[in-house]
Amino acid sequence: MQPATRPHTLDPANLDALATWLAGVLEARSVRFGGASLLSGGAIQENWRLVADVEGGPRQGRHDWVLRTDAVARLTMSLDRTGEFGVLKAAHAAGVAIAEPIASCADPAIVGAPFLLQTYVPGDAQARRIVRDPALEDYGDALTERLGAELARIHGITPPREELAFLPIPLLPPGRNEVARLRGALDAATEPRPALEYVLSWLDAHAPEPEPVSLVHGDYRTGNYLVQDRRLGAILDWEFAHWGDRHEDIGWFMARCWRFGGDAREAGGIGNREAFYRGYRSAAALPMDEAVVPYWEIMAAAKWATVAALQGDRYRAGGECSIELALTGLMPPEMELDALDGIAALAASGDARWQ
Amino acid sequence: MAVRRISAETLIELAVATLRRELQPVLPPERRYTAAMIANALEIARREILTDGESARWELIDHLYPEGDGDLRWLAADIRSGKVSAAQVPGLHERLRAIVVEELRIRNPRLLKSRQGSS
Repeated sequence: MQPATRPHTLDPANLDALATWLAGVLEARSVRFGGASLLSGGAIQENWRLVADVEGGPRQGRHDWVLRTDAVARLTMSLDRTGEFGVLKAAHAAGVAIAEPIASCADPAIVGAPFLLQTYVPGDAQARRIVRDPALEDYGDALTERLGAELARIHGITPPREELAFLPIPLLPPGRNEVARLRGALDAATEPRPALEYVLSWLDAHAPEPEPVSLVHGDYRTGNYLVQDRRLGAILDWEFAHWGDRHEDIGWFMARCWRFGGDAREAGGIGNREAFYRGYRSAAALPMDEAVVPYWEIMAAAKWATVAALQGDRYRAGGECSIELALTGLMPPEMELDALDGIAALAASGDARWQ
Repeated sequence: MAVRRISAETLIELAVATLRRELQPVLPPERRYTAAMIANALEIARREILTDGESARWELIDHLYPEGDGDLRWLAADIRSGKVSAAQVPGLHERLRAIVVEELRIRNPRLLKSRQGSS
């Protein structure tokens, strides 16, 4: 098996079909592209930056856009681009800091796969660079507080929402529902993980009492937002959005596996926990329960362990010859250790709900 | 000077050292992450050759399946079904943790060091 250059979906030399389709959607006389460049990141989808000149219609003028496709491999837990576009429109309407969604297309004939188009927002999303910025001392807590407030705005989106009808309402309490989703995903995994199954059984048995479900981003963490001039640019990567417990996102943001080595800053490796909670409370319609966040941090570890196992299977069984996928496939014990120690800490806390 | 044997593990060690000393400094920035992944993969392979990474897992499996008919897949399935649980198997949490720690000694010993009391 030879390491393969990953095939790309979009052909930047042939954008005529995209231009024609887009002119129709934007009610324009014509759309012309000044080039397409592949942006870094996106193990699951491709991100292309496009400069477009629109003639006629409400969006006349020059635009800087990002086109995101479904790539060759897609995790079964992720939304397709059309679903993600619906979520983005709801978040944009709610005033969440995101790149404006422009259009989405389910027809694979236009660029080779379904795609969505958003405005280009400059900034850095590289997690390790962000958490190692020495200037975080000055701006980390302010950025953390802002991220807390943005998350509360996302959680202000609640069902029923006609445009989000494709998102299933969990029938079980969200904690138990997440466990069922992860178990379903693990059924397809090639490497058995007894410790992960043990963690999932604990999470199932200790799921918090359900509260009204909200829109959960599903991957709200450092690495999935843009930072520009020490400020938040935009929240990215909405493909794991679903209805669920708000605390799932908070636990995901706090989880040790998403601090990228910046362990001392518990909130995403960039700030302190209290700053995040303060920002969240400032914009939340419902009070948050800090006591259940550790439960969702354990869930975060279990979820990332599951995703890592499945990424590894893209090498083990999926025919993709990638050293990055193979190394990711070796990562589950890292998160299992955090989860097991998290369970032990809660059991030792004396709080009856965790016994 | 003692004579050194040129074995699988020393060859890997040399390959990593050469990669780090002679190649990484001259690579363009966009290739350094790939080089770091290659070094990491080689180090994991070296530790796998040198370390017994399966004794904790077989201790637990032998304990739970004394007839010799168990493996990790069975154990995972029995934990999910509730046939094997902390209530029925004293020390299950600690024994599973020992399996995880054993894997991390090979896959990521630096992470183990960062977690106090893990090893």
